[in-house]
Amino acid sequence: MTDLTREATGTIAESTMTDFEIKNLRVSVEGREILKGISLGISKGQVHAVMGPNGSGKSTLSHTLMGHPNYKVTGGEVLFKGQNILLLPTEQRAKLGLFLALQYPVVVPGITMSNFLRTALNAKRGYDGKDKSKAISPKEFRALLKDEMAVLRMDDSFLPRYVNEGFSGGEKKRAEILQMAILKPEIAILDETDSGLDIDSIKFVSEAVNRMRGPGLGVLIITHYTRVLKFITPDFVHVLVNGEFVLSGGPEVADRLEAKGYSEWVKESPTKEVK
Amino acid sequence: MGFSRAAVEELSALHTEPDWLRLRRLESFEVFERTALPDTKTDEEWRQVDLKPLSLDALRPFEQPDGTASAEIIPEAAAVLGQRGTSPVAARSERLDGELARQGVFFGPLWAAAQDHRELVEQRLFSAVRADRDKFAALHAALFSGGTFLYVPDGMTLEQPLISQYWASASGSTALPHTLIVAGKGSRFQYVDEFIGPAGVETTLVSGSAEVFLDEGADVGYVAVQRWGTSAWQFANQRFHVGRDARLRMVDLALGGRFARLRVDVIMDGPGGQAELKGLFFGTGEQAFDFRTLQDHIAPHTQSDLLFKGALRDASRSVYVGSVRVEKDARGTSANQANRNLLLSEKARATSEPILEILNNDILRCSHGATVGPVDPEHLFYLTSRGIPGPVAQRMLVEGFLKEVLDRVPVQHVRNLVEQELATRIG
Repeated sequence: MTDLTREATGTIAESTMTDFEIKNLRVSVEGREILKGISLGISKGQVHAVMGPNGSGKSTLSHTLMGHPNYKVTGGEVLFKGQNILLLPTEQRAKLGLFLALQYPVVVPGITMSNFLRTALNAKRGYDGKDKSKAISPKEFRALLKDEMAVLRMDDSFLPRYVNEGFSGGEKKRAEILQMAILKPEIAILDETDSGLDIDSIKFVSEAVNRMRGPGLGVLIITHYTRVLKFITPDFVHVLVNGEFVLSGGPEVADRLEAKGYSEWVKESPTKEVK
Repeated sequence: MGFSRAAVEELSALHTEPDWLRLRRLESFEVFERTALPDTKTDEEWRQVDLKPLSLDALRPFEQPDGTASAEIIPEAAAVLGQRGTSPVAARSERLDGELARQGVFFGPLWAAAQDHRELVEQRLFSAVRADRDKFAALHAALFSGGTFLYVPDGMTLEQPLISQYWASASGSTALPHTLIVAGKGSRFQYVDEFIGPAGVETTLVSGSAEVFLDEGADVGYVAVQRWGTSAWQFANQRFHVGRDARLRMVDLALGGRFARLRVDVIMDGPGGQAELKGLFFGTGEQAFDFRTLQDHIAPHTQSDLLFKGALRDASRSVYVGSVRVEKDARGTSANQANRNLLLSEKARATSEPILEILNNDILRCSHGATVGPVDPEHLFYLTSRGIPGPVAQRMLVEGFLKEVLDRVPVQHVRNLVEQELATRIG
């Protein structure tokens, strides 16, 4: 598997390290092995897509990378900026520049979007409540939000609302991408950001992600469906089935899935979301 | 023990109370004497209460007056009344004697109202919070010390809140303030009871009870902020009568006390009445809270919504028992009850028990829900995944949990002081 990836990436074949390196990762949930030793290297500037049918381990991968407590790592490592991040608490992974857009963003009553965003941004800037010079000024904060929210077609009314409370499915996903835009990660994982979205929301979200693409950002899109990949063209596509990568290649892999689905590996077939 | 007829007479004489009130105190004292302490094993209302550490013997029956009452200056308040223990001097803000009084509002010490407004006070005093309810209620009625009477005439609207502050200052003593509120037809106002102190280690017995009568169409906000000291045992009873088309918005904020028991009875006895009932508590150390609520729907088409939320740190604990009663004529009732408890340590404990008694099937809604548990790990994951440090995330989530109730407090002064107090407790 690792070899295939390296071959596909070509230019980095000689290097032993990409910016974000998943090496032989094994993960169990409630005693059952879900990821069976997967490896994947992501460099900044690249967009990778991991595609797979239901139950293949996609969410396990995204949650494990971010350090969700329900997932138990039983082997392997994930190297980012010279550290095995699997040994770090979630907040420090974020601080290193890792971001996860959740498939199901949680509702957090009592905390407003604007408080949430400002606190996260200040944490990134190293403001710990003491050195005020590190905190973002209200003016700067408003300006930053204004631009990013415009791209996502979100208006100011989101800011005083509690985090995700009463948001539609599309609004929640847009709010995730807004957080990404504000926090400017170096590696971003988009966990099924496209699922459950209407076509307009997919466009706005894709537009925002494409705006962020560039040499400073590596993206890992996790998805069941090929649809989003028409808007965000991946450099590499990896197919995850039953906890293992079964195929890796360029964007043409998505086309193959578009045509044939996952039927080569599992019974489940449709790759187009039925709405 | 220090409780005696002589003590009752002495306290009554301090304020040169009228005979009717002195006699009523003495009657209540007789009830106190002949009533045993509640049996916490057999008495349903007192289950889960541990009275063993409470010794009534050493208590002084009331605080000796020291004449130093003062009222805080609270710019947003229409008037502030400050009382300290049994001191006969009650500090009053200026507006009370002028404009408000001319418009027929009475807001002053209960002992003064017993003289000057007997027609409003005599019939109602202890008619809702009755002396014969239990031994502590009897003691409260016999030896209530200070307290507030508020009367707002028919049709009158007060834009700014009225605030009553009661300080108990003597550890080892008894401090039993009582509030009586009469809201005239269509009157609208907000009222705050603030109970403060005393510091000190000696067992102190306190109450902070209230009887509130909402006449037809009245719209009343009642807020009680309980900040007794850490040696206080509180036995308080609040009882609200919500008249026809009247609207009550009540918030109980419980912060102090070693053991703080509060009964809240809301009697929906006028058709079309509405009540929003919120409670917030935060326990630290070995504090224990004990809440018993009753939403009693008697008249048709009444609505009550109750939400009691609390966080418990260290080895603190809380008991919540909430009754919803829909009486046989109460068709069209809508009643909701929710109790949410956030446990912030392994040793903290909370129990929650709903009791539903529905005697009319023609109701709109009757719901109840309870939760007991730590901060949601999914919430914590979400916040930390954005780089927010764990302890900051935990703090934000606890604040957010309590905010739902705090946001409903209609008085800025109260929100500020509770926010401040919570901030130090969340740590």
